[in-house]
Amino acid sequence: MIQLFNVFKSYGGVSPALDGVTLTIHKGDFVYLTGPSGAGKTTLLKILFRRERLDRGQVLVHGFNVGKLDDSRLYQLRRKIGVVFQDYKLLPRKTVFQNVAFAQEVIGVDRKTVKAHTWQALKEVGLTQKRNAYPPELSGGEQQRVAIARALVNRPSILLADEPTGNLDPAMAAEILALFEQANRNGVTVVLATHNQELLRAGRYPVITLNRGRVVES
Amino acid sequence: MRALFQFLNNVLGATAHNLKANRQVFLVSVATITVALSILGLFLLVFSNLKSMMSTWDRQVQLIVYLDDDVSEDQKSKLRALFEGHPEVEEVAFTSREEAWENFRHSFSGGADFIQDLDFNPLPGSFHMRFKSSPDRLDKIKDFAQVLNKQPGVESLEYGEKWVARFEKFMIFIQVFLLAVGGLLCLGLILIISNTIKLSYYSRQDEIELMRLIGATNRYIRTPFLLEGVCVGFFGAVASLALLKAMHYYIQLRFQESLDFLTRGVVIQFLPFSWSVSMVVVSMAVGLMGSYYSIHQFLESGDRQ
Repeated sequence: MIQLFNVFKSYGGVSPALDGVTLTIHKGDFVYLTGPSGAGKTTLLKILFRRERLDRGQVLVHGFNVGKLDDSRLYQLRRKIGVVFQDYKLLPRKTVFQNVAFAQEVIGVDRKTVKAHTWQALKEVGLTQKRNAYPPELSGGEQQRVAIARALVNRPSILLADEPTGNLDPAMAAEILALFEQANRNGVTVVLATHNQELLRAGRYPVITLNRGRVVES
Repeated sequence: MRALFQFLNNVLGATAHNLKANRQVFLVSVATITVALSILGLFLLVFSNLKSMMSTWDRQVQLIVYLDDDVSEDQKSKLRALFEGHPEVEEVAFTSREEAWENFRHSFSGGADFIQDLDFNPLPGSFHMRFKSSPDRLDKIKDFAQVLNKQPGVESLEYGEKWVARFEKFMIFIQVFLLAVGGLLCLGLILIISNTIKLSYYSRQDEIELMRLIGATNRYIRTPFLLEGVCVGFFGAVASLALLKAMHYYIQLRFQESLDFLTRGVVIQFLPFSWSVSMVVVSMAVGLMGSYYSIHQFLESGDRQ
């Protein structure tokens, strides 16, 4: 499902962001990606959905050779991947419902299906009551749940999340984690970048640890 | 088919949303284009009227053959036969020396005394010929004049060739001038519209970035912006035509009479319909080019990331 071989990425600094990363994540896995700030977690996630280009190496995601993927086919890769961004990337002038529906509209899903799927996604994250609210009116946890609903609404094969519990209290973090676990039970491969020691200590899922762009533990 | 309908529905919705969200920028762009196209349209208006005046004058062009004072009756008959035998000659009229002198004295009846007191007739007899209407009438007159020049009994010829040629040159200059001004204005409009689209893009940058990350195709992202550019071009052209029509109405109302001596009864016309349509089409094409130019740059730079 996800394979990286000797991946190298530099932003021109003293040390590279990723330095010879090699790893494999199988279909249906739930994996934590961890490491100190600047270890390369976000860069690695960004390379998986080609938000960043790699300098060297091979990346295979869901059958796509990411490094060699033509720009005109990039959308095909991205439709297989749901991403929960660290800053949520919700559109402030759209309602919760419109934010989730937006993800389907832009890939050409018909209006009737959009409505049904959006409702279902909001139900799964427990936000149907807030469907007409605007993101700035929501708490951090609620915004995170909208972002998860949006990432899952197109039924992706892979779900990438960058620090999804970073700003949340432990109770809320547990609730959010439960949503990822639910998605994983539905067959979605989950890669979750986190600093959250409580989640890691629970020891329920494999952990890939990065440091200075290298995999130090897997 | 259903997917296409869905696509159109979505992009039209996005275009309407863009226009609504950037109403002010849109209106300023339309106003700028209106002014720019009105300048071009004004030149076109003058040009089209000069052209129609030119064709009126052209219709009035006649070949005048002045005869030698000692031309014989036989030579005159031969010349008349030559004129009447020419397939392009529509009408031939003869003015004798006496008639010419009489007409001249009549025209200057209130004029200088020395004309009235002149005791000899200085004017020659002449043939006046009108030619059938055709686009190359002037060329035909020129050709025929060359033949006539060599005929016995012919003193000189006149068909206003100098001023017609001068006017033709002037019209060519106007055409080149219009082409240059039109080209420069189009370039300017492309930049203006490109800027409008850039502003529109910036105002929706987050949304577009998200669309790209979610997996929208470039075509889906690009189309609403292209339509926006086309709309700016369309409304700008229509508004400029309305402005030109109002100017035309005003000029006709206030100046038609005083311009009659110049136009010789030709009414000042508005732009021909085909020209008006062309202005709208060109403006829309310019809008499309301007928006394509800017959105292409953004999408290219986004893909390179």
